[in-house]
Amino acid sequence: MAFIKLNDLELEVEDGMNIIQVAQQVGIEVPHYCFHSGLSRPANCRMCLVEPHEFFPPAGKIVPARQLATGCTTTVRTAPEDRKLDGKYDFIVRTDSPRVKQARENILEFLLIHHPLDCPVCDQAGECKLQDFSFNHGRGTSRYIEVKNIPPKKDLGPEVLLYSTRCIVCTRCIRFCDEVTGTGELGIVHRGSKNEIDIPRKHDGTPTQLLDNKLSGNVVDICPVGALKSKDFLFKSRPWFMKTVNTVCAGCSVGCNITLDFKDDGVYRLKPRYHEHINQHWMCDDGRLGYHYVNSEDRLQTPMKRVDGSLVPTSWADAFGMILEKLSAVDSESMAIVGSSQITNEENYLLRKLADQLDVGTVGIFGRNLGDEYVYPKFTIEADKNPNTRGAKDMLCQGENEVLEGEPLWTGLSGKEFVYLVNGTPERPIDETECDVLEKIGFLVVQDVLLSEVSELADIVLPGATFAEKDGCFTNSQGWVQRIRKSISAPGQAQPDWEIIQQLVKKLGGDIDYNFVGEIALEIAEKVAGYKDANHQQIGDQGILIST
Amino acid sequence: MAFEFSEENRPKLENLIKCYPVKEAAMLPTLHLAQQQNGYITEEVMDCVAEVLEVSVMKVKDVVTFYPMFFEEPVGKYVIRVCHTLPCALRDCKKVLEYLKEKLGVDVAAEKDLSKGTTTDGRFTLMKSECLASCDVAPVVMVNDDLYKNLTPEKVDEILNSLEEM
Amino acid sequence: MIQEKRIIYEHLDVPDICMFDVFRQYGGYQRFEKALKELPPEEISDMVLQSGLKGRGGAGFSTGLKWSFVPRDIEPRYLCCNADESEPGTFSNRYILERIPHLLVEGILISCYALGIHSCYVYVRGEFTLGKKMLDQAIEEARSHGYLGEDILGSGFGLEIYTHPGAGAYICGEETGLIESLEGKRGQPRVKPPFPAVSGVFSKPTVVNNVETLCNIPFIVDQGIEWYTNMGVTYGDARFDPPKPDPNTGTKLYCVSGDVKDPGVYELELGLTCSELIEVAGGVKGERIKAVIPGGSSAPILTDYELDTRMDFTSLTLAKTMLGSGGIIVLNETRSIVDSLLNIMEFYAHESCGQCTPCRNGTPWVRDIVKRIATGGGRQTKIERPRFGITESGRWGDTGEIEEVYEDLELLENVANNIANVDTMTWDTICVFGIAVSWPAVSYLRKFRPEFEACIRDGKCTVLSVDEATVKPEENYAYQQRIIPQIMQG
Repeated sequence: MAFIKLNDLELEVEDGMNIIQVAQQVGIEVPHYCFHSGLSRPANCRMCLVEPHEFFPPAGKIVPARQLATGCTTTVRTAPEDRKLDGKYDFIVRTDSPRVKQARENILEFLLIHHPLDCPVCDQAGECKLQDFSFNHGRGTSRYIEVKNIPPKKDLGPEVLLYSTRCIVCTRCIRFCDEVTGTGELGIVHRGSKNEIDIPRKHDGTPTQLLDNKLSGNVVDICPVGALKSKDFLFKSRPWFMKTVNTVCAGCSVGCNITLDFKDDGVYRLKPRYHEHINQHWMCDDGRLGYHYVNSEDRLQTPMKRVDGSLVPTSWADAFGMILEKLSAVDSESMAIVGSSQITNEENYLLRKLADQLDVGTVGIFGRNLGDEYVYPKFTIEADKNPNTRGAKDMLCQGENEVLEGEPLWTGLSGKEFVYLVNGTPERPIDETECDVLEKIGFLVVQDVLLSEVSELADIVLPGATFAEKDGCFTNSQGWVQRIRKSISAPGQAQPDWEIIQQLVKKLGGDIDYNFVGEIALEIAEKVAGYKDANHQQIGDQGILIST
Repeated sequence: MAFEFSEENRPKLENLIKCYPVKEAAMLPTLHLAQQQNGYITEEVMDCVAEVLEVSVMKVKDVVTFYPMFFEEPVGKYVIRVCHTLPCALRDCKKVLEYLKEKLGVDVAAEKDLSKGTTTDGRFTLMKSECLASCDVAPVVMVNDDLYKNLTPEKVDEILNSLEEM
Repeated sequence: MIQEKRIIYEHLDVPDICMFDVFRQYGGYQRFEKALKELPPEEISDMVLQSGLKGRGGAGFSTGLKWSFVPRDIEPRYLCCNADESEPGTFSNRYILERIPHLLVEGILISCYALGIHSCYVYVRGEFTLGKKMLDQAIEEARSHGYLGEDILGSGFGLEIYTHPGAGAYICGEETGLIESLEGKRGQPRVKPPFPAVSGVFSKPTVVNNVETLCNIPFIVDQGIEWYTNMGVTYGDARFDPPKPDPNTGTKLYCVSGDVKDPGVYELELGLTCSELIEVAGGVKGERIKAVIPGGSSAPILTDYELDTRMDFTSLTLAKTMLGSGGIIVLNETRSIVDSLLNIMEFYAHESCGQCTPCRNGTPWVRDIVKRIATGGGRQTKIERPRFGITESGRWGDTGEIEEVYEDLELLENVANNIANVDTMTWDTICVFGIAVSWPAVSYLRKFRPEFEACIRDGKCTVLSVDEATVKPEENYAYQQRIIPQIMQG
């Protein structure tokens, strides 16, 4: 630990931190563009200049260093005893001296001379560092009267547009493609004030390689200005009109921490949120763009029942009535409950209760098929495309019970009279064997969010909620229990899946009464091995690792 | 059309790469060699260099566009670089440049448009150059690899004539 | 009459000195053999330090000190020879490469032996095709005679020298820009620290030395410290008590160009005055000297009454300019200072690597302002600002008065100072390119303000006479603040 003086504060900080990070810890913002804690530090924007102090022997006192230093590359280290400043400090630095303020003003003036000042039509407005820092540290007017550079707007790839005029060449995006993905699609072309970010092109401008990797969307997030823009989010909404929740991506078993931006009418954007052990600063494009089904017009809004071979809307009372009626006529040996690696721990836990209530012998897990695994130097997209495979197993596998998945599941389901199956994903194609088994089931109840290949075969379809519409927890492949949070409400009469299951258990005479998901989590913490501390409060925004 | 290093250049290329502990470091000499063979750097050349040096194509493009000595467009058989930095400017390099423009009937090549400075017969490309480090014999002009000193319009004539004959 | 003192250039004009045999006849490689046989490596490093040799590339940093920063326990270590001679007005290295390349090879051999280095890269400017060819030949010849390769002359010491061609970027002359370029990337300078001595090329300890610096080494080793320190001058640094010796020893290859009768490279002892130097180069061509650029185009300009300044590292630094690479450009009374500045700013705007903000956007901005003024587009509007001059205390500072100046001139000075502040000698850029831009801009403006004002007033590029164009000595910031260092006795 190093003992430092930052402005007038005395701080105890870890060795190796830089001044930007140290200041951030105590709520002091050192403005910066090129520095990103997940990338290398070229110190090219010169925005984070700070004023280190040093001992000046001729004067016999501590004075500001002759040169300002960049905060991003100035790291704090414990100094040897004889090199301590004032006998105790390892480092003394000011981030608020007149020199520093002047330097920030100068750099901002330079950054803005070629900027088109098109904030009214720029998506970044409202979350733009150029705006923020200009407001806080800039000079307000420009003295530049020469002709501005107007480099062209560029289409970099399937997800990303580059508005070159707004670019400040901080090179975060280039470093991302070099260091995190290792794909190196981006670079600088030309030199000096003419330089631009670009992809490889022929001399006539046709691209020879696109920014087309599974992580490309991240360059938009790390762009500190409005230069790199997401095609998906382009002109969709002003940032200040949206609300945000911290949640977890439901795209695969990695469980990337994300923020979800939404308005009353739907989900607008997913962005990665930092987690040291899981996704660092990043998320993949599959996850990032995988929210569209939530906003789909075809979402299930009412329960459905099969009448004369086709599914027609019905009421919850009717649907539950039919289920109960069927259940009373079937013996428990011919029943099966199939949970899902798409839904939360709490919901799978309730399904376990349902299974116990009915004394069902056959319990299984359903989920998306294995997909492709992508391994980048600093990021891996896992092959298991379900967010909660591990959690679903932990919840359903209580005691001696066996939980079926894969082939055995279909063998186990074949010939059943009553199957209660939760799907919850829009993409789950079923093959011939699976179709055959499902078709032959006497009475199939499917909880789903959209009419899928599975729910098309059901006798009763119950409208559930997506990850964006309910609270709960996922356990990722490493064993991190993390919270998903409700943003919008499920459409129409659709309900969070735990509510649906709870109602059914209650109707079957089960003695449960949860008012909110957190209560279920508390019970899980008490009863499920390894989940001792997994109550919602402790899980918080960073999750907890289950003990094994 | 894919670009490949010629039989003659391949051993040279191998020797170049051997000079460095990492392949990427051979970028500049490799590009010089490729330009020597091909006349200018096309995207096929960049693809080839990227493959040889085991870097992404964009890294090659990055370098090619940074250094003014690499051309991304065809240039004339003779590339004439007229130094126009202060010591040459003091010795009237402007006169030499104007004379060359008139004589060749071309403008000075622009950074992103070399064709402006290339004669229609493809023999000459006229471009400005920064200080060529021969200020004692200013004004100077480099034609391909050769330096011509103390230039006057008369000497320019002599040079052009001698090149015509070649 | 002052005589040239040729050391490095002594045999430059000998026919075929580029050949190994001829070079050896004139003492070549014998100095290396002597070093190899008689001197342990540490002693050579010590001699270089004691000799007071300062780097000839521009910054004038002590070579011995630079060498001492290299950790000896990390392998491999590299020597990079900077032969990317691009500073406008500098052309001394070209002659070494083209005519006497073996001297450089010998200098590299001794330096690498002293530093325990086994690979050296010579970064040769892309335009120096002949120079590179000659050096390559010299290296081949040296190798065939057993002076390069493994186990040189049976000593156990081995060395390989590789030449690396540049491709026309000025910034690659900056030592970390050179390293990046050598690694096959854009020549964008690196953030320091870490300094190259700790982490340079291929992340290994690296010494970057200029051609001229390395060519001094054989002579220091051969003829000794005393012989070397007797050349040039040693000043006493008055900030210390007793004054600390500040050596400006040896000779310097002064490249004189522009309006002189005999432009060329003159090897002279350090410490001559600027006027003396111009005398050696045949005197001014034209009526009289208007201004002199003393150290390559990035050095602040000297007015005609500042020519008594000694042309060495210390004196020029204390006169608020620099010796830099030793490129002296003389301007006579017919020259426009504004137009000359425009030419230089065009150069820097073209050569800025574009990596960091102040330089990328500031340099073309300064160019544009100068261009407007030079082509008659200067704005007539004036603004008020505090007047600097000699204050009541007799020293330079804020006089407390207000003066009216053209808005564009104030803007020019301010923008240039924002890239790098010439008064505090601080820069917000990554490398010293920033100061190389603002130094000329600010000094030309401050020392030749009347001519800039005339350009704006007349709406065209007006050339004033020397006396009219130059600010009076009492208004010259640099002249008023300059310190003339005292030569140490004994």
